[in-house]
Amino acid sequence: MRIEDHPILGKTERRKRITLKVDGEAVSAFEGENIAAALIASGRRVFRYTAKRGEPRGVFCALGRCTDCVMIVNGQPNVRTCVTPARNGMVIQTQVGRRGGEDTHDLEME
Amino acid sequence: MGKTEIYVVGGGSAGMAAAIEAARAGAKVTVIDENERPGGQLFKQIHKFFGSGVHRAGTRGVQIGRALLKEAEEAGVKTRLNTVVYGIYPGKRLGLICEDHTEELASPIIILATGASENALAFTGWTLPGVMGAGATQTLININRVLPGRRALMVGAGNVGLIVTYQLLQAGADVAAIVEGLPYIGGYGVHASKVRRAGVPILTSHTVLRAEGNESVERAVIALMDEKWQPVAGTEEVLEVDTICLAVGLSPLAELAWMAGCRFSYLPALGGWVPVHDENMESSLQGIYVAGDLAGIEEASTAMEEGRLAGLSAAEALGYLSLEVAEARKIEVRERLAALRIGSFGDGRAIAKRELLRARCKK
Amino acid sequence: MLQSCDHLQKLGFGSGLPGVEISAMKNDDLVICRCEEVTQADIKEVISQGVTTMNEVKRLTRAGMGLCQGKTCGRLVAGILSRETNQPLQELKPSTSRPPTRVLPLGVLSRIAQDND
Repeated sequence: MRIEDHPILGKTERRKRITLKVDGEAVSAFEGENIAAALIASGRRVFRYTAKRGEPRGVFCALGRCTDCVMIVNGQPNVRTCVTPARNGMVIQTQVGRRGGEDTHDLEME
Repeated sequence: MGKTEIYVVGGGSAGMAAAIEAARAGAKVTVIDENERPGGQLFKQIHKFFGSGVHRAGTRGVQIGRALLKEAEEAGVKTRLNTVVYGIYPGKRLGLICEDHTEELASPIIILATGASENALAFTGWTLPGVMGAGATQTLININRVLPGRRALMVGAGNVGLIVTYQLLQAGADVAAIVEGLPYIGGYGVHASKVRRAGVPILTSHTVLRAEGNESVERAVIALMDEKWQPVAGTEEVLEVDTICLAVGLSPLAELAWMAGCRFSYLPALGGWVPVHDENMESSLQGIYVAGDLAGIEEASTAMEEGRLAGLSAAEALGYLSLEVAEARKIEVRERLAALRIGSFGDGRAIAKRELLRARCKK
Repeated sequence: MLQSCDHLQKLGFGSGLPGVEISAMKNDDLVICRCEEVTQADIKEVISQGVTTMNEVKRLTRAGMGLCQGKTCGRLVAGILSRETNQPLQELKPSTSRPPTRVLPLGVLSRIAQDND
């Protein structure tokens, strides 16, 4: 859910609308905001599943440190979505394990 | 323009204040920050700060942030943004990563102002999406303008817990309660009153037993604790929340200081392991200074003053300020710092800071 | 919250601030290192085998070796080690900090190695 009007911060500035493809679906975002913010705004909370236990993870630190929010972005895994700006046409996939997307095999790389 | 003489690692309150002070004295300063703009935590702080006029009381963190950026620009401070310092080597060499290329550079003076990171609290279900740091919540609501959820449980009644609770309400979310393990509230009374007036109960001597939910947080179970810190049977309460915010303290982000070989002291009152420093903010290593939350968890006001102290000392070390001029200005800054470390909240920090200075002098 | 250290110490929690919520101290299945999914049981296991330092815990359990390089779990591991071996926190220095501070793609890492040669 987006905060459009805030008692202190005022109205959110108008920004250019862009479209992301997330696990095959179109998701609207604003140019320049980080991917995680756009996904949370669209109602998504699960960003990846862990390698050993297959457990869901989402945003935890929102600062680029904990790496729980990593997803596969334009084919590259382990991208920290909370510090990566969203760009029009970006292809984003839920990361499963260390490298895999939901439709790829998880390659355990040591 | 001239080769950089002072590299400041971290462009938050302390780093920017240090850079401005040193640059105004004539030094060539570059601030390195991993984010796309400097300002550190200031841009998340939408509430009004306390303190005297000198400390810009009544001003919001965002405004102070903007003012610092402007002053830095006017003073001729250079910045390298989106740049990570991945290592620090003997001889005051820094390793940087910018985009996909790396660089190594040496610097006569390094000021480390890398700030702090939020502590984690592990409990059953804490890895579920929806459990996050209170600072993370603040980033999402105040900078990204998105709500992480609709109804939150806040864990921790220190200043961060109280302030972020209030900010959640301002942003349009609901806060079911604040749970605090201690039998008392750690934050300022004025923040606690604000939160209570808004209808959020502050439950001291309470713990979060677990977070529950299928793919993300759907419920939190809390309970009262007895004097032996054990949950009291029969007091379990289920809160229908989708977000759990952890406000359980900060720790200095000190990896670079450890890597450089700085000496540390363990001081719980300042957040744990803190690099020792003298009254000029110089660490145990010559030419490496520390300032801000890295040098002990305090507030934005102390961070800025410590930054100023480090900046002045660095400029003096390079010969841009005479001993007399530098000392006169440093005395003023130290007086302001002392004034910020009084009262029931400041005393503990003042004592710990003195301990740091003592440890620095030991050989 | 920082005052709780002394408070808890007085109450007999030797390590002070636990990091692991008191209610979860007996939950051995609790994940401590989020990146590598190392549990409290895993850590207690190596401690029962004689491990007493942060470096050893990291090396044997991989806690702190994942993507975040111990930024999130460091204090939690210290709290458990302190509690289980009765060493006060001030005697448990964090595991050795080595470059890079951030996990990087292999290509960038090899370039760093060349720069340093």
